[in-house]
Amino acid sequence: MYAYDKFDRSLVDIRVAEFRDQVERRVKGDLTEEEFRPIRLMNGLYLQLHAYMLRVAVPYGTMSGDQMRRLAHIARKYDKGYGHFTTRQNIQFNWPKLSETPDILAELADVEMHAIQTSGNCIRNVTSDQFAGATADEIADPRPYAELLRQWSSFHPEFSFLPRKFKFAITGADQDRAAVKWHDIGLIVRKNDAGEIGFEVIVGGGMGRTPVIGKTIREFLPEKDFLSYQEAILRVYNEQGRRDNKYKARIKILVEAMGAEEFARQVEVEWEKIKDSHIDVPQEEVARIQAFFQPPELANQDATSAVTSEFAKKNFIFASWLQNNTNAHKVQGYVNITISLKPHGGIPGDASAEQMDLVAALSDEYSQSEIRVSHEQNLILPHVALKDLPAIWADLDEAGLGTANVGLLTDMIVCPGLDYCALANARSIPIAQAITKRFDDMKRLQDIGPIKVKMSGCINACGHHHAGHIGILGVDRKGQEMYQLLLGGSGAEDATKAAILGPGFDEHGIVDALEKVVAVYLGVREDGEEFLSTYRRIGAQVFKEAVYDAA
Amino acid sequence: MTLLSLTGIESGPWITLLDGELPSEGDSIAVPIARLLEEGVSAFATAGALGAAVPTGTSFAELEEVVRSLTFVAIEFSAFGDGRGFSLAVRLRKDMGFKGEIRAVGPVMPDQAQFLLRSGFDSVEITDESRVGAFRVSLERFNEFYQTDYMGARSIAHARHGISQ
Amino acid sequence: MAKKIKGPQMILANRLDDGRVVFFTKDGGWNSDTVFAAYGEGETLEALLVEADKSAANNLIVGTELIGATIDGDQAYPSHIKHIMQAKGPSVRADLGYQVSADWERR
Repeated sequence: MYAYDKFDRSLVDIRVAEFRDQVERRVKGDLTEEEFRPIRLMNGLYLQLHAYMLRVAVPYGTMSGDQMRRLAHIARKYDKGYGHFTTRQNIQFNWPKLSETPDILAELADVEMHAIQTSGNCIRNVTSDQFAGATADEIADPRPYAELLRQWSSFHPEFSFLPRKFKFAITGADQDRAAVKWHDIGLIVRKNDAGEIGFEVIVGGGMGRTPVIGKTIREFLPEKDFLSYQEAILRVYNEQGRRDNKYKARIKILVEAMGAEEFARQVEVEWEKIKDSHIDVPQEEVARIQAFFQPPELANQDATSAVTSEFAKKNFIFASWLQNNTNAHKVQGYVNITISLKPHGGIPGDASAEQMDLVAALSDEYSQSEIRVSHEQNLILPHVALKDLPAIWADLDEAGLGTANVGLLTDMIVCPGLDYCALANARSIPIAQAITKRFDDMKRLQDIGPIKVKMSGCINACGHHHAGHIGILGVDRKGQEMYQLLLGGSGAEDATKAAILGPGFDEHGIVDALEKVVAVYLGVREDGEEFLSTYRRIGAQVFKEAVYDAA
Repeated sequence: MTLLSLTGIESGPWITLLDGELPSEGDSIAVPIARLLEEGVSAFATAGALGAAVPTGTSFAELEEVVRSLTFVAIEFSAFGDGRGFSLAVRLRKDMGFKGEIRAVGPVMPDQAQFLLRSGFDSVEITDESRVGAFRVSLERFNEFYQTDYMGARSIAHARHGISQ
Repeated sequence: MAKKIKGPQMILANRLDDGRVVFFTKDGGWNSDTVFAAYGEGETLEALLVEADKSAANNLIVGTELIGATIDGDQAYPSHIKHIMQAKGPSVRADLGYQVSADWERR
């Protein structure tokens, strides 16, 4: 994991002092709310539906056990005993006081965390593959590059007042677990024929009211030019991105209007002027950061574990958990565990302070004090020995964290919706709870197999409904909460926009409709065929008939 | 109104020409960029010092046509959130090698002082004089930076490895 | 921030310090419980808004907003679901709904 040196530490400390000063000036009236708003947003502080909300960055989704413990402490001391993990690999606290926020930020700085640029019209927290550095299907660990981006983008003098927010995602694996094509800039680590590291650069993806899948503007960007090329993209966007209409201000609109080729051309022209300057860091600095992400030294283990296999034979839930919630590590005898934050009937992505403390303790004992957050709102313990799984699962299960549903229907991405969010049109959490109760049967879920359900409480699409195999979108129809059903989206390497199936439903109807869609799939699937493949094979019509004609 | 120097370089006030107005001989004048492009630089040859008043929406290509004749540029922010002004200043310094004074005019915030300085601005026109103190505090806030600035000054990444250029 | 909505309205804002949703009260203060909320329309409402905006000028509250109200006896309740949520707190965490008014629940 990256560790702060005196420079990093000094910057976050000064930032806390700065915000303390800004809060005082706001309270005294020296700063207007209009001026204070972007300042507090760039420090992660929103004014939400009920109260302030603080969004804390978990850079590229990696944190330590000590950092998780500090989050638990903050939840207890300054909030109401819980936090909410988000699709941007961040954590949100829903009830902080403005006057206490500088103290919270100081507590975070103390464990090398911050809330810098987790909101505002600036470059946001960089997201990445939750299994980075621990997965078998990886060209290189993307996190050193994410850290380079974090540093370059923090307090950038030119790019702190962009037309709109700006989100990077980076992956180093073949399988895209970071939804890179749905980001303002998506980066995929590539190797050229000479075996050198570089990046495919994808620009102009995004969800919201205008879903767009990003376009590749460069197949291979050499590692040494990494930052200067991003700077060229940002300059073109900062100058030409629309500022007259916030719904048309994201880079995706600019790239669509200009055409990806013309956009790429302008970026190249700009880049020619600035490449080989000092925007790119010296090679020693890349090496310094990479050294923090060396794979941990893991003791030799057998490829199988008798104790784990035996326990799985006796316990069906554990057997399901073993199948669904673990994935292959690059070292034999080890796995990465995904801890589901989607208990049936619970609030997706929420974790109590006690649960956070438990995960921290488990990470100390079993996963090198390392924890990850996934964009699918789950927690990960990487580098875990296969033989330790029964003990870990027992502890998790006792704390309500043993749900074996990762990758299955009830492992939904769900935004906070109208229960917490000032922008939402409809509640999403109660719908998620109704769905997980309807499908509260592991054998049935297992039979349905891998399927990604994603739900947003409004058109801003924080719940990634455009990228769901099944998407649900909450809308406001004359003061009534209604829900639209979308099918066929993907957030993975085969990124696809989901399509609306037909008219919307009320809160009960949407659950029935989802169940009918699943029934159609189960009826027509071929041997071993997953939901998305079936949908792509047979199209929307059969689903449409089943959902609407019978009603 | 107070003029705050960010770089330490002292400069005097100038007159921003209104439409149709002609400069008195020897005056320091800022001419709106649209008028400068329309009438040409030679129309203002009698000015003591010629500058341009440049809204943030001006494209750098337009500015490039006249920049060689200018001794100063006033970048006019329409709102503090209009970040185009920062890129314009960077362009003036980096791409056009502009050495004259760049001044921020309009509703910029004290909290943006270091961003302005590091993008290439020399001075800020502050309308609310009670804010001068806050501008000065903000200007001294950070002393090390993750990025090179517009002139390519070393960043933290260089300092870490003892590289100064 | 006055929006064109018809009928009786009440005034909602957030307290600057803790961000909590509060309603402008009949005695010229702010309270998270709608039981105390002032309401009106036309000139009465405009007079209320002038008073309410003074608190914004004094940096006590943020984001004064006029919202549609449903009147029951001499009590005003928010009409739109969003404002009902704001008055009640998250529907999925009844234990946190500190804004819930006992009176409201009896309706």
